[in-house]
Amino acid sequence: MHPRRATFWALYLLPVGWVGLFFLVPLVLMFALSFRADMQGELLGLWRPTLDQYEAIFAIGSYWRLLAISIGMAFIVALMAVAMAYPVAYFLVFRAGRAAGLCLVILMIPFWTSFLLRVMSWKFLLGSEGVINSFLTYIHAIAQPLGGLLYSRNAVVITLVYVWIPFAALPIYAALQRIDSEMLESASDLGARPWASFWAVTFPLSLPGVLASFFMVFIPTVGEYVTPLLIGGSRGSMFGNIIQDFFTKAANWPRGAALSMVMLAVTLVLVAIAARLVNLRRLLE
Amino acid sequence: MTIGLQSVAALRRPRVLPIYFGVLVFLLYLPLAVLLLFSFNAGTSLSFPMQNLTLHWYQRLFDSPEVLRAARNSMVVALSSGTAATLLGTAVALLLTRFRFRGESFLFALAMLPLVVPVVVLAVALLVLFLAIGIDRSLLTVAIGHTVVALPFVVLIVTARLAGFDRDLEDAAMDLGAHYPKVIAMIILPLIAPAVISAWMVAFTVSLDEFALALFLAGNDATFPVYLFSQLRFASRLPVMIALAVLLMVATLALVLLAEWIRRRGHRNVTDTR
Amino acid sequence: MNRALRTLLLVPGLFALAVSACSQKSEDTVVAQTSGELAVLEWAGYDAADFWIDFKNKYPDAKLSFEIGSSDADVYGKMKAGTKADIFHSYTGWLQFYVDEGLVEEIDVSKLKNWDKVPESFRAMGRFNGKQYFLPWDWGFSSILYRTDKVSGTVDSWAALLDPKYKGHISTWDDGPGAVTVSSYIHQYDETNITPEQLVAIKAEWIKQRELNLFYWAGEPELIDGMTNGDVWVAYAWQGTYATLLGKGVPVAYANPKEGRNSWVGVYGIRKGSPNKDLALRFLDEKLATATASNVVNQFYYGVANEEVMKGIADPTLKQAFSVDDPTVLQRTNFTPNLTARQRDDWTAMWTEVKAAP
Repeated sequence: MHPRRATFWALYLLPVGWVGLFFLVPLVLMFALSFRADMQGELLGLWRPTLDQYEAIFAIGSYWRLLAISIGMAFIVALMAVAMAYPVAYFLVFRAGRAAGLCLVILMIPFWTSFLLRVMSWKFLLGSEGVINSFLTYIHAIAQPLGGLLYSRNAVVITLVYVWIPFAALPIYAALQRIDSEMLESASDLGARPWASFWAVTFPLSLPGVLASFFMVFIPTVGEYVTPLLIGGSRGSMFGNIIQDFFTKAANWPRGAALSMVMLAVTLVLVAIAARLVNLRRLLE
Repeated sequence: MTIGLQSVAALRRPRVLPIYFGVLVFLLYLPLAVLLLFSFNAGTSLSFPMQNLTLHWYQRLFDSPEVLRAARNSMVVALSSGTAATLLGTAVALLLTRFRFRGESFLFALAMLPLVVPVVVLAVALLVLFLAIGIDRSLLTVAIGHTVVALPFVVLIVTARLAGFDRDLEDAAMDLGAHYPKVIAMIILPLIAPAVISAWMVAFTVSLDEFALALFLAGNDATFPVYLFSQLRFASRLPVMIALAVLLMVATLALVLLAEWIRRRGHRNVTDTR
Repeated sequence: MNRALRTLLLVPGLFALAVSACSQKSEDTVVAQTSGELAVLEWAGYDAADFWIDFKNKYPDAKLSFEIGSSDADVYGKMKAGTKADIFHSYTGWLQFYVDEGLVEEIDVSKLKNWDKVPESFRAMGRFNGKQYFLPWDWGFSSILYRTDKVSGTVDSWAALLDPKYKGHISTWDDGPGAVTVSSYIHQYDETNITPEQLVAIKAEWIKQRELNLFYWAGEPELIDGMTNGDVWVAYAWQGTYATLLGKGVPVAYANPKEGRNSWVGVYGIRKGSPNKDLALRFLDEKLATATASNVVNQFYYGVANEEVMKGIADPTLKQAFSVDDPTVLQRTNFTPNLTARQRDDWTAMWTEVKAAP
């Protein structure tokens, strides 16, 4: 065990130190800020802690409703993204062969272009006088331009799924690499049909990747704000937009910090429950 | 015997997967095709009818040092934060799957926490931190922020690969007297290399188009998303931005396809000599 | 320690060093002279050299660096967080807090050569308690912009933004205080003294309006695209959008509502405690100079506080956008008053509730 001790500390200290300094400390700063009454006075000086912000938040029912809706949306997005990403991961591992690396990069390249520019393109395509509507009107498939393609909650969900699929494929891709194709061949040699061997062998072995993928999509999507801002329209705001607004429109950092702490707490509780349910630790070994 | 062959054939049969992949790629590249189209449009907005075709914007691009500088800044930040995040994240993944210690859950939660916190909160908090400590804002501070937000992705991807990893090879090496760091470097890392590389790609991608942290934590040197944001106020600057985005995308695609072609030629040579 | 592991740990360190070395290089060129350095907290786009060209030509040895703020709240937040910027750019409605919290220096106007080109109505925008704290610079109108081919008749009231006739084709500015302003114009409330009951009514009104509104715009390009492609027919807009759309040949008109247009003014302030006050003052002076001011008008389609430049506008599109030929327009215009911190908090919070409402 002795040599492993040194390795352990070498591996442990750097990431924990980094995250500790550049994440935990700022987070604690924010937590402290949430107990401030307003922005007046020296920001980093001492102030009298108050529960004003939390009281105000708890009194506003619509915030809680929006949080619940955001969680629901995130759940749907994660579910759909993971389901639609699985075939992509499977393709990369079992069908793409040596071109897998190339295919992976091809999936990533669009994300190296500004999201803002790509959304502008989509708006051009989907707008009421855009290409798709013009085409559909031209062939008389529709009489009025389709309004719901943009600026709605559904549009936000669809966009988020679209954007997440390539990323969601990666943990699944990583997990599927553990599977020996010989294992699958033996299964079929023993008479198992493809679907059966998939559900009995492949899928269970890929489960850590599927779960990792689900959480990877779900957790940040709860606090998502960019896509709702660009595509959601007036009724498509998510909880992240409210937090964003308190920082960048209202200059009310204490309120924003308090809302973030609430979202953090709720998300952590949900994740803890989920982790219990799937017995995460057992899966990691 | 025939039953086995039939089933194996059945495994190979579905062309569904490649088609599915193809459709996805098509949908991902469709907006880029639109941008490509409009980069040749003489007009300054994305609307039909298109005016005269022109290469004017690409010319202007090379006359705009700030644009290229912004692109270079993004590249530097993405490369460094991507690499840093991959190193740190792989370390965490190794810790979680190879070592038993109290505080495993704490480490996992800590590594995942940046996913939960909205990026604007982290941006403001880091701003206050850096100002309080007296660190000047620069590409370094942006890279630090990016490393933090990319870390969870790396941890998740590499952990997914390492979980349930067969220990026989490791145990054999240790039995032969190898030190554990050597085992990691010579056995584990090479085997999980594809996962680590894909994790690096995600971290790189996350950093390249990241806006909020870059806006708050950059000093004078803007990254491309921040620069793009500042230029979008001028409708007239839009086409040059589109030209840059298209150029970068085409260049990357070309490089990647070239690399693949070289690899295939090399592979063919190897197989030819067998 | 194993060599491989050591290398592993070195690499992030090396990268960090490399990156900081790169940025250090650019900082070195900025810090070359200890005298003659200015840091400006500026809005995106205005950092371009065209918008400080007179300063650049007159003081070529001065080194300028820019920090980008993305909104009034962002600029205020960064000032509170302790930015070292010497100069900051804010807009009417957000100025009271800087004065109240001692964040801004007084401006000695006797040192400004271009001050006499600024009309009194604009000077007053930057004056608090008799002291000149801010230099007015860019300004513009807010009014209702509408597609003449989609809207029958003329729009003559702010109430058009809440008119069910245009359901699904309205776009208003994503701003709580802006919404309160519109409501106070429509219902003749006293904008400087909105009561809690009025605020509740305003909130309810805009929650209803949300069903008619297509999207809230935060930046002009979004609105320009929306009006060009026909999604938006009626919008709260600044004259920059108007001028841009006119230039593109889109059939639009800019209303002169019976309640009067709104006008906002952008101002520059010198951060209290700045060590470069003298250079900062020169920067402000050159901001009002002709070439700089003209660039703002011609490139951004915003107005400037330099009266001569405004009177000298020749482009017919711009003349139309600024109603240059209508000398009474400014009298019929409501200038954005300054908010107290309490009002800011209440009105911005109100807007988040509008967005969060079921």
